[in-house]
Amino acid sequence: MNQVNSKVCVVGDFAVGKTSTVERFVNNHFSDKYLTTIGVKVDTAEVDLTQDLKLKLILWDIAGTTEFKHVEMAYLRGMSGYILVADGTRLTTISAARELKTQIEATHGELPFVFLLNKSDLQHAWEVSDRQREKLVNEFSSELFVTSAKTGDHVAGAIARLAELIAERELFGPQ
Amino acid sequence: MNDLDELKSLLFGAEKQVLDSIQERVQKPETRVVDVADVLPEAVRMSHRQGKELVRNLRDPVGQCIKESFHAEPQEYADALYPVMGPAIRKSITQTLRAFAQQINQTVEQSVSARGLKWRFEAWRAGVPFGEYVVQKTLLYRIEQAYLISRENGLLIEHVHHDASRIKDSDAVSAMFTAIQDFVKESFSPDRTGRLETADMGDFTLWAVHGPHALLVCVIRGVPPRSVRTDLSAILERIHFRYGESLRVYSGDQASMGGVEDELRDCLELEELQVEEAGQRRPPVALIVLALALAATLAYFAWQRYELAGERARLLDGLNSAPGYFVAGVERDGRRFSVSGLRDPLAPPLSEIALTAGIDPARISADMRPFQSLEEQFRLQRAVESLAVPSTASVTVDGKVLRLSGTATREWLDRARSLTAVAIPDYEFDDSALQLAEIAALHDDVSRLASADFYFVEDARFRESDVQRLTNHAATIRDIADRARRLGLALEIIVTGHTDGLGAQEFNERLAQRRVDAAVQQLLRAGLDPQLIKPSIDVGAAGTAGALPTRRKVDVNLALSGPD
Ligand SMILES: Nc1nc2c(ncn2[C@@H]2O[C@H](COP(=O)(O)OP(=O)(O)OP(=O)(O)O)[C@@H](O)[C@H]2O)c(=O)[nH]1
Ligand SMILES: [Mg+2]
Repeated sequence: MNQVNSKVCVVGDFAVGKTSTVERFVNNHFSDKYLTTIGVKVDTAEVDLTQDLKLKLILWDIAGTTEFKHVEMAYLRGMSGYILVADGTRLTTISAARELKTQIEATHGELPFVFLLNKSDLQHAWEVSDRQREKLVNEFSSELFVTSAKTGDHVAGAIARLAELIAERELFGPQ
Repeated sequence: MNDLDELKSLLFGAEKQVLDSIQERVQKPETRVVDVADVLPEAVRMSHRQGKELVRNLRDPVGQCIKESFHAEPQEYADALYPVMGPAIRKSITQTLRAFAQQINQTVEQSVSARGLKWRFEAWRAGVPFGEYVVQKTLLYRIEQAYLISRENGLLIEHVHHDASRIKDSDAVSAMFTAIQDFVKESFSPDRTGRLETADMGDFTLWAVHGPHALLVCVIRGVPPRSVRTDLSAILERIHFRYGESLRVYSGDQASMGGVEDELRDCLELEELQVEEAGQRRPPVALIVLALALAATLAYFAWQRYELAGERARLLDGLNSAPGYFVAGVERDGRRFSVSGLRDPLAPPLSEIALTAGIDPARISADMRPFQSLEEQFRLQRAVESLAVPSTASVTVDGKVLRLSGTATREWLDRARSLTAVAIPDYEFDDSALQLAEIAALHDDVSRLASADFYFVEDARFRESDVQRLTNHAATIRDIADRARRLGLALEIIVTGHTDGLGAQEFNERLAQRRVDAAVQQLLRAGLDPQLIKPSIDVGAAGTAGALPTRRKVDVNLALSGPD
């Protein structure tokens, strides 16, 4: 079986659930405790794409930020794709994610990504209206996922989608 | 078209077409470019073959081109030159360091401490140069793992490790190291050119070696010597050289880097060797053989030295015990001996002593001054030689007595006696068996003259001829008597008177007496000592037949008797 390694960065505002999402995907585990990430935390996960192609994701869980400084920019270098994470209970985190995407595209060009609107289990605190959600769907189309690290909803699907995008790009080059 | 043109076209129609097409080609830059491009490679080739003109003319513009492109794209050139420059620079540095290391070795080697001696012994036993052993002893390390990491994206390209040191997720480690690397660089290096090269954690040291497209990170147990970094750089350069483009565009597909694992494994082997060398290496066979040969040679030389020393001692003993030698010194030069000192010419030759000592005389040279030894045998021999013993005599040594035999003159004997008394006063001189030549001669003369007869005519009257004969005889006897007296011998002159026996006894006795007296008279007249003369008479038997005139005589006999 062929294995290809890809670097994937997980970016987003503070406490949106980046670390929790990776932890859910990699170890299928969730914790309510909030331990903010400092610098970078690396994990790996394998995604089977076809019967004889496996993608190993090197997941760079980068400390939450609303704007990339030099250090974060350095962390992004050489990535094959990225995961934008926003918190559905805090609207500001969505615009922060947009900002970050713009910054990435300015330096790295178009790269495969998925947009995760996290904490879907917290319906009482959910701030994203249907109209706003419609707008996000238009904006990110099939790359938008409403997820919950706590329950694991759509987490695996979102990351599988990213793996597909990366593989496509690896095989056929940027469109 | 006017008439003239028409005429022209009629006359030179074909040529004009050619002319026009040539003109068009010359005037149109595109066609000219194509033309020149056609012939340019061949033209360059020919020109280059013909001489240096082309090179000379191209030098400046080409140089300028290179200079400008260096300025425009320094990174490209740096990357391209990296695999070439690394080894070149390192080679020069290595040489410098080696000289430096040798200097250190010498310093260490000269130091003699208890530990130094112990190490020296251990190094000898392990068959490792002492300097190298010291380094091993002080720097023990082992590279446990090596990561080849893409610089661009922190993806792990290859990971090798010793079997014992398996770790969980090398991809995560690789990414994390890159992240830390980025963090350190961004946080602590103002111009972001600094790089994390080492990190220490407990027993381990982390070393990172940076190439243009990849970095090599090694986890090392213990403290590695600085030279290991050079070895690691060489490995990384080799990888760059072999996988340059694949490395640059590496995006996680390990298949694009086939075989790089073997290259990377060199990192582990590099130091595995070092670890083994510390303990397990046996001295190579060649070294053992060499050591044995050396030992054998040394043993041979030692034995030869011993042997030569023995020879020298034997030679010296021989010389010291040999009579007539006084040895000042015996020097050895290689296998030769040279002897100096004094030697009595009468002493046995040096070669004889050498042979007795079991040494080939040809190996001995001598510087011996002559001298006279006072040793007894030489005193004696020299004394005997000085006697100049005549051929008629001989000398034998019997204990402390010098015995002479044969005959010799008194003069020689007197001289011999006095010579002996001076040269060998402790010897007795026995000449009892030696006959003096003078005495022998006297005896000869005496026996020749032993008996002489002198005749009478009648009565007591000598025959005329015999008177003179007796006178002469008397003179001869006187000479013999003189010699006998000088030699201390007693000479008797026996004068006997005879008669023919005819006549009366009494008459004859008186006649014989008268005849004796006449003869004695003659002898005395010649000056002979009367005491030597013994007269006697012999009258003969009476009544014998016939009167014999031959009995009318006196005879003179001599008798010599030695000193009592
Ligand atoms: N209910 C709920 N809580 C979540 C979910 N995801 C994360 N959390 C909680 O949100 C808090 C922050 O989560 P983290 O995963 O640490 O957030 P982060 O983005 O990594 O934060 P930084 O590392 O500081 O940027 C934690 O207390 C989590 O338990 C979710 O899907 N549902
Ligand atoms: Mg985090």
